[in-house]
Amino acid sequence: MKPVIALTKGRLEKQFLNYYQSLGYDIEPLTDKGRKLRVDTDDFQFIFAKGPDVATYVQYGIADLGIVGGDILAECQPDVFDLFPLPFGACRMAVATEEGKVWSNGKKRIASKYTGITKAFYKEKGESVDIIKLEGSVELAPILGLSDAIVDIVETGNTLKENGLVVEEEFMQFSARLIANRSALKIKREELKPVIDRLKPNGGNEHD
Amino acid sequence: MFLPDGSQDQIGKILLKKQHVYQIFNDVAVSRGFKAIETPVIEYADTFTNPHVGMPFQQLLKWFDREGAIEVLRPDWTTAIARALMKLNPKESKWFYQGSVFTQDKDGIESRQAGIEMIRTAPIEGEIETLCFAIDYLSAVDVSDYVIELGHTGIYETMIAPLSLTPDEETKLRQAMHDKRQDVVKDLTQNNTRVQQQLLDLIDAYGDVSILDRYKVKYQDDDTIVTIIKELTQLVNVLEQLGIDQTIVDLGRVKQLPYYSGTMFRGYLTTSGEECFSGGRYDKLYQQFNQSIQAIGLAFDVDVLAGSVQVEELSRVAIIASEETHVLAELKRRTMTDKIVDVVYSEPNEKDYETIIDLRNEGAK
Repeated sequence: MKPVIALTKGRLEKQFLNYYQSLGYDIEPLTDKGRKLRVDTDDFQFIFAKGPDVATYVQYGIADLGIVGGDILAECQPDVFDLFPLPFGACRMAVATEEGKVWSNGKKRIASKYTGITKAFYKEKGESVDIIKLEGSVELAPILGLSDAIVDIVETGNTLKENGLVVEEEFMQFSARLIANRSALKIKREELKPVIDRLKPNGGNEHD
Repeated sequence: MFLPDGSQDQIGKILLKKQHVYQIFNDVAVSRGFKAIETPVIEYADTFTNPHVGMPFQQLLKWFDREGAIEVLRPDWTTAIARALMKLNPKESKWFYQGSVFTQDKDGIESRQAGIEMIRTAPIEGEIETLCFAIDYLSAVDVSDYVIELGHTGIYETMIAPLSLTPDEETKLRQAMHDKRQDVVKDLTQNNTRVQQQLLDLIDAYGDVSILDRYKVKYQDDDTIVTIIKELTQLVNVLEQLGIDQTIVDLGRVKQLPYYSGTMFRGYLTTSGEECFSGGRYDKLYQQFNQSIQAIGLAFDVDVLAGSVQVEELSRVAIIASEETHVLAELKRRTMTDKIVDVVYSEPNEKDYETIIDLRNEGAK
């Protein structure tokens, strides 16, 4: 059976395909897939899913390898091998709020898609906050008064700017990462090792 | 009515398979001189969360007793048995157990295990006996598609010794090794490039047993590592002689509980990739009782094994009887000890039985 690789749909997918092509792989079957969520190439089977689901498919061994954002891994903490960063999908985690925000002395309300990361961040700081879980467009929350601030990923900062928000504090940096199922990496080593080495930035020549 | 995640009622074949897995385990353990032990399902949390054992408190199923102490459902057999053996102080050193453990993790709460514990058993003797047990048992339940992986706590620990890490840094580095997270291992060891290179290589030191030869040469000047590699090579040879030629190693594997102190092993089912057993040496476990006792053990995942064993179904016989001939049918049933026998008063469905015997008119004769 061909190794199964789970890809995060959307923006990360395009960046991965560019990278994959730069390594000399043929990406045509992956770009001409239409709406198919499962595509076979000569070497692999690819499945396309949302980031957190990529982690889940790899954890449960449906996929052997996965390409997923480091932000998703930090948030979902799947039980997988989290091998190495890939040279795309860079972003930062940041606390952002309205420009000129005057903080009250009360307990802050923070809106985020990343409730796990938010909780860990404020716990580390020793500050108690109330966290509100949102699914997207989190920039709305401070503008409309749902929260005092947001915790979200920032790439260029344009979305924040256009919505009148500024970064208060940046605290984590992420990129896309290669993850592997815990037992597949061991028992399918012969099949997986070549592709892992090839996906490694600098061709894996860092050591030895 | 609903059940919690992972909990399930079971009937039919899967239950038969589970009973089969337990039964054969019992037979193999008894025939190899192991004595049965059972500890209570309810214990104090501290037995499992004290620093010697170090199970994460969040994972335990817990509540307060009347005095306000925290009680838990048994999350781990090995620790419970160590506590029991220290109290009972029996002279035997080979023990086996079977039953459920309860932890809150992603796969639900209850999982079933069958395992062995050997105390006062020195290195190599204990490792060989434990691995032989695993092979013997898996063969007895007719599981042949598996791979055994060997590891050792000592390689990583020897390598990081020069780093003098704080406990917090050590936890982070261990987690990064556990996740084979190369970039984080690199960051955490940047003050010592020699150790950094060693650990980055160690992350990748998994696969077939030729890695042992490579490490034997690479670390020929380090007595501790040379001894460990020799031990592991010896075990590989034992496994080979017993017909297990697919052994793999992961020299970069790190312990997940603080009491592990030597060889670690586990078995993967080749087809599904599921882990069917795991175990290792934990000579440090008994330090909490101020005792220096060597110990080793392993546990089989009964749920995983039950999913992959085949049980032979006995042939089914229906005896049609009446009130007058029911006793006759019962006497007939007693002669058919290797079959499943139903006594019925009406015509059974032919598809359900291989043999149908009609005794309704026998009494009249």
